[in-house]
Amino acid sequence: MISCRDLSCRFGDFVAVERLTLDVAPGSICAFLGPNGAGKSTTVKMLTGLITPSSGSATVAGLDVVRDALKLKRHIGVLPENLGLFDDLTVEEHLDLTGAVYKLSRADTRDRSNQLLRALHLEHGRHTFASRCSHGMRKKTSLAMALLANPRVLFLDEPLEAIDPVTAKTITDLLVTISRRGTTVFLTSHILAAVEQFATRVVLIRKGVVAWNSTIEEVPGSLEKLYFELVEAPAAEDLAWLGSSQS
Amino acid sequence: MVRVLAVLNAVWRAVRRGQGSFASIGTNNFLIFPAYFLRQTGTFLYLIIALLIFFPLSADPLRKIPRERLASWPLDRRELWILRILSPWLNPIMWLLAAATVWAVRRSVTWQLLGIVAGLFALCFVLSDIGGGAWDALARWVPGFGGVLGELIRKNLRQMLSTLDFWCALVLSLGTTIYRVADRTAPPEAFLMMSLLIVLALSSYAQCLFGLDSAGGITRYRLLPLRGWQILLAKDAAFLLVSVTLTLALNPLVGLAAALTVLAVGHEQSVKHLRAQVRWRFSTSSSLGNGVVQVVGMFIVGNGVARTSVLLMIPCAAIYGISVWWFGRIVDRSGK
Repeated sequence: MISCRDLSCRFGDFVAVERLTLDVAPGSICAFLGPNGAGKSTTVKMLTGLITPSSGSATVAGLDVVRDALKLKRHIGVLPENLGLFDDLTVEEHLDLTGAVYKLSRADTRDRSNQLLRALHLEHGRHTFASRCSHGMRKKTSLAMALLANPRVLFLDEPLEAIDPVTAKTITDLLVTISRRGTTVFLTSHILAAVEQFATRVVLIRKGVVAWNSTIEEVPGSLEKLYFELVEAPAAEDLAWLGSSQS
Repeated sequence: MVRVLAVLNAVWRAVRRGQGSFASIGTNNFLIFPAYFLRQTGTFLYLIIALLIFFPLSADPLRKIPRERLASWPLDRRELWILRILSPWLNPIMWLLAAATVWAVRRSVTWQLLGIVAGLFALCFVLSDIGGGAWDALARWVPGFGGVLGELIRKNLRQMLSTLDFWCALVLSLGTTIYRVADRTAPPEAFLMMSLLIVLALSSYAQCLFGLDSAGGITRYRLLPLRGWQILLAKDAAFLLVSVTLTLALNPLVGLAAALTVLAVGHEQSVKHLRAQVRWRFSTSSSLGNGVVQVVGMFIVGNGVARTSVLLMIPCAAIYGISVWWFGRIVDRSGK
């Protein structure tokens, strides 16, 4: 469903992603993990047509991400890094916009919106302008937009961060359910313990280069241990001034 | 007192930056062209501009610090009171009022005028604390439109309403409409010119149509399965709706022709030079050359439609259509 061959992205001299080769099967949940600045969001942007790769090729749902960008957008749902919301629309109006643009009937849009708002605990804030929403509410709105048109492939950039535990559980259950029905999920996250529970494939990326790519069953020991070994170990900096005396 | 000074210093920096955004008026078509063509006869236009700027300029400086942040700092009651008393003096209008009070004592300014200005300032000062709710209520009044682009048009209308360009055009429109109703002998040429002035007040906005879409909004545009021309059309629909509505009682056909012209010319700047705009300020024109072409074009087309033939609307609409198609392609390319 997702296939990359030597996909690279450079910004001047800086190499954000280096020769990424990857295959994600239909119906799988691929967790794309790495530290801040490793190239996760850049990869999501390339795969969703937000930026053009510097070299290499990629197809999503059988469509080339550069040549068939417009067609591709009709088949994918995206939770982008910056959430992609308009300050001047309310939560509900964002969903109405999505329904109209993806050519859903008004009745379908309304039904699906109501269900998504209930599932994501957003009902109370449906008439709130995005500019006045909390970060969590904004993220849930963007996620609801990604899900509303029932996409074949879902790209979620850090879907669980800044989300309350109950909604996070709802989201992970939802992702597992839709992946069993054939939707492919490609997500980035920093919450390794949560990802380990529901991802079917794990890709670790470090400084733009893939450090690990396997199914979750093939991960030796815990995901956190593997991450610390291959990607980045916690720094042991001693901030001696912290807690020593009040100042 | 050290803590109070530190907070005041931060507020002062934020206020100074905020006031820098008022410089946008310097590159706004509405200031530049009347200043050049009308000079002293354009005084009423400058008064309108000054009045409109007065409102956001009168905002409470202490609001530059989020309430939660201020509450989380270890400031005692006495320090908060000192802040409350000193912070208004970071607003230049306070100093102007103080100077005006001295002039009033010396009888250079009447106490009535001082009272009106001070009252307005106090009102704006207090409203800046509770203004968010009022704006939300007004924004909710903007109706939804059906179709694929309906919600985008609604959003674009709300964005236009949060610029001083719109309020300037509204003041001109209301003033002229009242004049037309009150004096039925007024010459129609006056309404032609006022229709053009109303569109002129909006014209800089046509050069920065995406200026109020934050980074998130721009991302969303790139993710939506829409063609570039559709995105531009949704922007333009809001602009045309406002232009025609504000010139409805004057000369809507001229308003429409002038609006189509400024949009056709402004697309180039809007699409190629994304320039962030600040709400409750005048829009910044990013190119004087583009502004000149906009203004000359709209005056020629507007006068042509009013004095020669309505059929001039046909080439005008055709050129606008070509502009939407051409720059829509550029929007498509920029999204990849």
